Amino acid sequence: MPPDINTAADTGEPSSKFAIQKKRTRLFGLTLDETIRVFFGGNALVAVIVLALITFFLFREGSQFFGQNRDSLRTYRLAGLEYVDIIRQQEEDHTALTRYLFDIRLKAVVQLTEQGIDAAEINRRLAAFDAFSERYSDTIVPIRGLVFELTEVATDIKTRYNENEDYKVARKNFLAAGMKAEADEITIKDLDFAKEIVAITGTVSAYEQINNEYADALKASVTVLPTLPVASLQPRLERFRELTREYLATFPGRLATLKAWDNNAPVKWTEAFTQFIFGTRWLTASFWQDWYGIIPLFVGSLMISCIALFIAVPLGVGAAIYVNQIASPMEQRLIKPAIEFISAIPSVVLGFFGIAVLGQALRALSQWEALSWVPGFPYSERLNALTAGCLLALIAVPTIFTLAEDAINNVPRAFKEASFALGASRMQTIVRIIVPASLSGIVSAVLLGLGRVMGETMVVLLCAGNRIAIPDFTAGFTAFLQPVHTMTGIIAQEMGEVVRGGIHYRALFVVGLVLFFIALLLNFLAQKIVRKYRISIG
Amino acid sequence: MDTPSATPASRTFNVPATATSAEGAQTLIEIDNFDFYYGAKQALFDINIRIADKRVTAFIGPSGCGKSTLLRCLNRMNDLIDGTSVKRGSVKIRSIDINGRDVDSIELRKRVGMVFQKSNPFPKSIYENIIYGLRIQGVKSKSRLDEVVEKSLRGAALWDEVKDRLHESGLGLSGGQQQRLCIARTIAVEPEVILMDEPCSALDPIATAKVEELIHELKKQYTIIIVTHSMQQAARCSDQTAFFYMGKLIEFGETRDIFMNPKNPQTEAYVSGRFG
Ligand SMILES: Nc1ncnc2c1ncn2[C@@H]1O[C@H](COP(=O)(O)OP(=O)(O)O)[C@@H](O)[C@H]1O
Ligand SMILES: [Mg+2]
Repeated sequence: MPPDINTAADTGEPSSKFAIQKKRTRLFGLTLDETIRVFFGGNALVAVIVLALITFFLFREGSQFFGQNRDSLRTYRLAGLEYVDIIRQQEEDHTALTRYLFDIRLKAVVQLTEQGIDAAEINRRLAAFDAFSERYSDTIVPIRGLVFELTEVATDIKTRYNENEDYKVARKNFLAAGMKAEADEITIKDLDFAKEIVAITGTVSAYEQINNEYADALKASVTVLPTLPVASLQPRLERFRELTREYLATFPGRLATLKAWDNNAPVKWTEAFTQFIFGTRWLTASFWQDWYGIIPLFVGSLMISCIALFIAVPLGVGAAIYVNQIASPMEQRLIKPAIEFISAIPSVVLGFFGIAVLGQALRALSQWEALSWVPGFPYSERLNALTAGCLLALIAVPTIFTLAEDAINNVPRAFKEASFALGASRMQTIVRIIVPASLSGIVSAVLLGLGRVMGETMVVLLCAGNRIAIPDFTAGFTAFLQPVHTMTGIIAQEMGEVVRGGIHYRALFVVGLVLFFIALLLNFLAQKIVRKYRISIG
Repeated sequence: MDTPSATPASRTFNVPATATSAEGAQTLIEIDNFDFYYGAKQALFDINIRIADKRVTAFIGPSGCGKSTLLRCLNRMNDLIDGTSVKRGSVKIRSIDINGRDVDSIELRKRVGMVFQKSNPFPKSIYENIIYGLRIQGVKSKSRLDEVVEKSLRGAALWDEVKDRLHESGLGLSGGQQQRLCIARTIAVEPEVILMDEPCSALDPIATAKVEELIHELKKQYTIIIVTHSMQQAARCSDQTAFFYMGKLIEFGETRDIFMNPKNPQTEAYVSGRFG
């Protein structure tokens, strides 16, 4: 057998060790490096999982809303509420027209007063007009009566239906709990909508008759227009007649709609969505019908955010430019922490400040004579979009300032030096080099500031006035002086009072979902823009 | 060279025939008893130097000796740094003290341009880079701007390379091209003096050669002061050389003399490569 040349190496230790093996200190079988990696990796993973859970939870709670909303819309139709609302709309349109008349009268009174005419004389001169408008508004009385009666009927059907549904649930609960006796005590009478609805749709011929008389009366009332004591308002009255004729032209269509109306027509899935996304009413706990339309809340949030950004962007970006480019080191040491401190103020304290000081001060300002030229001044609502917007600006400023200052600071010093070396002044350098080079950073700072403002809850809840209605934009900027409600505010306000699992509860979740997506979108955009900017700077 | 040289350094350097002669050159910049401080730290000590018009002057010396500092004093770029101060002495250009009360540093910088160590074109198009100086002076005429762009780019020997892509980003050019773009941008405002702070230190040899060639071309019209690290470059491009050490001007004279016949032992040690 030949001698094994490896034997010596196998048995003996090598004299000089080539020590590249991993050290043997181990924790749960991991080296120190690996332990650290697992720890931080684990933390990151937990964060991702939590985010995923939040998303999932929001979706799960929110998604059922649309089914419930569809059921609600179906009941609205089955019980005939929809039918009654079609006629009610006619009544409301009439009310809007009489308001137009009222408006003409008000203008006339103002002008006559300015001419130095006393009240008695004004009333005398407007007597013909007043008689005309009284005749006009009385024409609706029969329709109003019908709507009133039908409202009673439809409410009754709906109430009985809902009660019955409640019984069903109760019975099921008893059965599930094994309480057979109690369950049997509950009598369930399923409503026959087809039969019930006759009480409503059966009135169609009566309606047709009333409606014809109404149309005739209306036509007759506008054949002769009164002469106004203020000649310049006469064209408005002509316009009013035109509006009335347009209104009359809608009658045949309405009648046809009513005749073709079917309480059994299916409610489409899309309606459950569009009623939410494009719905202009957020009306809850109403005796008639609840509406969950996000538009008034969204508009409120948007208006407040616009005001906040309108104030915060110039302030935040201006301060960032000033601190980074102009301020002395002394000023820098003072201004930076001061602005950053604002973000440490609890928002409920800011809200307090808004109610107690800012709202009051702004209103006092609006009543100041010298500012009466500002549209909407003076105003009386202390808590409104403007008050909330001003406070939210305070919240947005630190975010915008810090991020914009960062972006400006990232502009290579070499750009600034090159600009100065070419004979540019400080201002020219800022406007032509620094700001363009950091623009995407500034834009993303603004987007994140917007995200911050959109998500802010306490301040808007305390200071926005919380009126759920789309402000009247026809009057221009005065819309911003009206109280509004917001998406965040409504959740905070109503979540505590709603029935868990109910449609209202779920609707609030969907609003939360919308907020979540807005935040996601803003962050995504901000990151995308910043990334692009990094590449362009090189 | 046949004649035995005084120092070993002379064997290493070929002083070019392109050097402009000292005769007939007028003094443009006079620096007298100049002390400069960064806060409490003195960076320049009692500098006295006379820089001739339409010639190339090189500042050499080991790093940290104050070359850049002095260069930046000539167009008051140091104003941008907090706490800097001139404690004594003066810098005069055409007999005007540039640190005087009535001097507008912005006007000064239009007359004394600067090219930096690291090329720094703006993140704008080549065209916009060139006309930046004119834009801020309020020049609007399109034809004039077009004319200046062509003239400056030709002046910086860059026209042929970029004429078809004037409206592309200046950042898309190669390092050498970017540096020449910066030179073009500087000459577009027609300064009298061009300060160059190690303009080739980030460039490869071919790009360096192009910039050096350009310097020869430019000195017909401009007074050039170049800070350089490379003694070969100083020898190749400059007419006069100033050697600095620890914030002091050690020796100043014709480039030929500084390299072949230095009077100061420190200079000799430096140019012969014994330290620095
Ligand atoms: N911004 C500054 N603040 C304080 N000291 C500086 C600054 N710039 C340069 N110095 C100091 O001034 C001296 C000269 O620097 P510099 O002129 O840049 O030297 P060089 O260009 O010759 O390498 C060095 O000691 C350097 O530390
Ligand atoms: Mg230097």
